[in-house]
Amino acid sequence: MDNEILKNLRKAILEYDISGSASLAKKAVEEKIDPLKVLNEMTKAIREVGDGFGRGELWLPDLVGAADAMSAATPIIEEEIKRRGSERESLGTIILGTVFGDIHSIGKTMVATLLTAEGFKVVDLGVDIKAEKFVEAVKKYNANILAMSALMTMTAPEQRKVIKFLEDEGLRKGIKIMIGGGAITDEFAKDIGADGYDPTAPGAVKLARKLIGKE
Amino acid sequence: MSRGFLRNFPAFKILSEEKIEAIHAGTLEVLQKTGLTVYNDKALKVFKDAGCKVDFETKRVKFFPGLVEECLRKAPSSFSVKARNPEHDLVLGPDNIIFFNFPGTDTVDINTWDPHSPTKKEHEDLVRVLDALDNVHFLNAYPYFGYSGGIPEVMKEIEGVALRLKNSSKITVAIANNDIDKFTIQMAKAAGSEIFANPNTSSPLTYYTDQVNACFLAAEYGLPSMIWDGATSGGTAPASIAGAVILTNAELIPFIVLLQLLDPGARVSVANLVLAQNMKNGSPAFGEIGTTLHNVVFNQVWQKYGIPTVCSSCGPTSSKKIDFQTGYQKMMPTVLSAISGSSVLQLYSSIYGEITAHPLQAIVDDDIAGMIGRFVEGVDSGEEALAIDLINEVGPIPGHYLGKAHTRKWWKKEQFEPIASDRLTYPEWSKSGKKDCIDYAKEKMEKILSTHSPKPPLTSTQEKDIEKILNEARKYYKDKDLISDSEWEAYKKFLG
Repeated sequence: MDNEILKNLRKAILEYDISGSASLAKKAVEEKIDPLKVLNEMTKAIREVGDGFGRGELWLPDLVGAADAMSAATPIIEEEIKRRGSERESLGTIILGTVFGDIHSIGKTMVATLLTAEGFKVVDLGVDIKAEKFVEAVKKYNANILAMSALMTMTAPEQRKVIKFLEDEGLRKGIKIMIGGGAITDEFAKDIGADGYDPTAPGAVKLARKLIGKE
Repeated sequence: MSRGFLRNFPAFKILSEEKIEAIHAGTLEVLQKTGLTVYNDKALKVFKDAGCKVDFETKRVKFFPGLVEECLRKAPSSFSVKARNPEHDLVLGPDNIIFFNFPGTDTVDINTWDPHSPTKKEHEDLVRVLDALDNVHFLNAYPYFGYSGGIPEVMKEIEGVALRLKNSSKITVAIANNDIDKFTIQMAKAAGSEIFANPNTSSPLTYYTDQVNACFLAAEYGLPSMIWDGATSGGTAPASIAGAVILTNAELIPFIVLLQLLDPGARVSVANLVLAQNMKNGSPAFGEIGTTLHNVVFNQVWQKYGIPTVCSSCGPTSSKKIDFQTGYQKMMPTVLSAISGSSVLQLYSSIYGEITAHPLQAIVDDDIAGMIGRFVEGVDSGEEALAIDLINEVGPIPGHYLGKAHTRKWWKKEQFEPIASDRLTYPEWSKSGKKDCIDYAKEKMEKILSTHSPKPPLTSTQEKDIEKILNEARKYYKDKDLISDSEWEAYKKFLG
């Protein structure tokens, strides 16, 4: 029975089935399946999609479809992990979002999906995120990495502002910062004091591993 | 009055009247059922007063078809725009076709093809080349995005407008982010020119406050507007072309409604920068043929509305070099958009997406524009052109046409003489050092840069007025904390 639920949950993610994935996650909780085992199975499914994308066999709509299906199930399972007082295993926690004034989400979502597939716990704050909200999330989740996206030249300086906020709050030393987006260059990343930049989503995953010393 | 090219045949139509009607009906349904989110209370109030269904809490506004159709009717099908040099005045629509440039944030090194932020001189060179080329009828916002050396981000386009007004007497465009159009509109006015207000939609179905404010500025100053929609099919718009046209139109129309409510008869054109999503890496798939199909359908609908259209997607390509791919990815959409009813074609100077541009590309593009311009002017089939008497007179071989007065008159009229294409015979080509179109474009660029200056140049009063507005802008953004202390120091040093 347990295996059947897990198998179907994995299938739901691979078939981009949002409602199926959420109801199977609920069922898994009802059947008292170890939520860590469930999350592990989900991560495996998303990794499969991520790998297919990396090999050029799957496309962006597949990646985002699977990510949406996984996102529908994740809060249900995380709630159960919390209720049981157990600890989720992950490579680290990453806070991620597109900066204030910028509403571009696709690149950010790609990166979030691939980071999740890699085994990071990703807290995706969404788009148009003010500096204060980034800082708040860094504190709340005790994050290892903050990842910020900006597509537009006009909004890229907002990343500088977030870094300054973290410095003012005395949080800068405890966290690695990676930035990305169409408007970003290596030069800009260095200039604003970020720890790393990569122009591609798969590159961002490698960078995240490097930043936490788990290459 | 700027020339442009007059399209002398009916626009190419890709869909039946019935299908176009279905797209129009779909647009009205989306506007009535879903409407759009408008983050601008002043505009929400205008919509409310006009009878729209407005929820001030969620900022959602829904439109009744009657109001939409009335406002579409009020917008003129053709209008002119005044430049500081009357020779560069513009006519948009209904059958006149004009060209301008597509922006590139950076320039490229034409040996390595690596992008870099332009120097002030490189920026000036691009603007001067665009000013010199006959078929560039006006200049877009940020031909390059500012220049290197210490300008804060928020000031880059404002300094860019100052640079354009100094180096070109052609009309330009005022982008709306961070209220910078409040200053650039004043600067254009000081230089004796109109400028296009530039409200941009955000897909799907959202307007942000600065973009809406551009409509209020257009009404306040009585300026023409060029409204841009840059949805990405498959990302921020449906992947189906017809569905994406409905979304695009539902996003553009409320700006027209607002503009017509604020200033009935206001001059407005709609720019289509809808691109397909590259499903491999999430960036737009510049030069994708589906984008051109979208524009052809878009043109057909807007011809029915009688509002001039701008094809913006014909400028950017996916190539990183000035090469064969740049050529076909520009030529194909530009020619198809021109024959399907675009009034304005945003062809010039861009290479990769909105990232890179170069004056050499602009010179090669001038030949594309010239060829297309010649094509749309069509075929004269009057008595003299039919040349029946002449054919009878010349008769069979050894008769020929080379020495005839008719030939001297007509060949120049019928052919287009390119400025950069290689048209030599093989022996001539070998002798010339095997030059290609890029070599010729380099020669042309050097000639322009050593001889060209804008006519008329700015007067010293105009220059002083522009400098005064620049100083006001500098102070405004410093006070607003959009220029940090370290940026301010670097900026002051840069300004000397």
